[in-house]
Amino acid sequence: MRNAVFLISPLLLGGCAGRHNWLAGAGAEAARIEQLFWVLLIGAVVIWCTIIAAAVYANRRQVDPKLERQARWFIIWGGAVIPTFLVSGLLIWGMVILRDITSDSGDITVRVDGERWWWRVIYDGPDGDVVTANEIRLPVGQTALFRLTADDVIHSFWVPALGGKMDMIPGRETTLALTPQKTGSWGGLCAEFCGGAHALMRFDAVVMEPEDFDAWLAAEAAPAQVAEGDPGLAIFLEEGCGACHSIRGTQAAGPVGPDLTHVAARERLGAGIYAMNADNMARWITETHEMKPGIDMPPYPDLDGARLDRLVTFLMSLDHAE
Amino acid sequence: MRHESDKQPGRFGPPGDAPRVIDQGSVWIMVAAPTLWAIHFVASYVLAATWCAKAGPALSEPRWIIVAMGVVCIALIAWLGMMAVRRYGGVFVIFEEITESSERGRDKFIGHVSLLLCVLSVMAIVFTTLPGFMFSTC
Repeated sequence: MRNAVFLISPLLLGGCAGRHNWLAGAGAEAARIEQLFWVLLIGAVVIWCTIIAAAVYANRRQVDPKLERQARWFIIWGGAVIPTFLVSGLLIWGMVILRDITSDSGDITVRVDGERWWWRVIYDGPDGDVVTANEIRLPVGQTALFRLTADDVIHSFWVPALGGKMDMIPGRETTLALTPQKTGSWGGLCAEFCGGAHALMRFDAVVMEPEDFDAWLAAEAAPAQVAEGDPGLAIFLEEGCGACHSIRGTQAAGPVGPDLTHVAARERLGAGIYAMNADNMARWITETHEMKPGIDMPPYPDLDGARLDRLVTFLMSLDHAE
Repeated sequence: MRHESDKQPGRFGPPGDAPRVIDQGSVWIMVAAPTLWAIHFVASYVLAATWCAKAGPALSEPRWIIVAMGVVCIALIAWLGMMAVRRYGGVFVIFEEITESSERGRDKFIGHVSLLLCVLSVMAIVFTTLPGFMFSTC
């Protein structure tokens, strides 16, 4: 039974695969960290086997005073000199990687501001800032320079499949350069405990072909396509949603919560935790704190029936223009 | 190099012949090198943290101060290592066990430990200083 459990246990490693797999080779920086990881792992296994073999050998051999001097040299070289050089080499290697991924240059710049518990994302568009939230789109093969800040407490920006994480510190700007190598939707998360809904502070990092990215950024930069007299927008404004949320092209210009200009174009709702669909949107409005406890947005349980339907229909229409 | 006070416990020699802190019979040499590392470590952190909080993201000037402090500390540790060899008879590698209960045996042991701590402290200072070479920003 015990052997069976032992043999089956490697299958648990399957849990490391998928969108958050830092061994996916999806980013140039992740590949460098992975290289360091394998060298460390294989090196540790070799050193461990050597030490165990030496211990077994020493245990089985008869004590020979003539070998005392050799044994002391072995301890000095194997226990002090060689480890010092190995640790120094690994330290320098790790620092070179860290220096490169915190460099201050990139093909595109993305500013990300950590909030409790979501992400404000700002691209440098040709006509100024393009503000979005909770989803980051990147062109494959190009280095994205992330300028990271935090609004309230310390967060940490991490897309495991693309590279190392970086703290977001209130009052300071940190940088992180990531070069995606594989297209796809990768998972991002906050890697520094930041309060009650920390585990629900996620985002999608969608890596696209460069021409698709350009088209996406242009669509994201455009204002919302809202028909004049849209009843959903009227409800949105009457309920006071516009005090916190912005929808470019309308009167809603609240700076507190996530920008909703193209909210329906995102893959997920609630900072990367629910599928973006009408049912989840309706529940998000009426049972907000059941879906994500502790957030600042108040629930609207009295909003039901036709008003809720109109509001949800309006929000789900905030997609990119065809 | 043996002091009068060592021969007659409780009595000091004439003025000008007071026992030196780093000298045969004293154990202070063992803590001196790690203390220099600790001072360098704390000073580097305080300097970098203060600089980053007050002066901005570039770390170009303070890193040379950290390096200079490191060089001074390593020079002091080198002097301590020399004292460990000269005054305590310390060696890096002891092939025979020190079993005799004598002042010479104890001094040799203190010298040996001090020498090893000097090497460790130099490595620690180098490791503290290295990031200053690698990173130019806070």
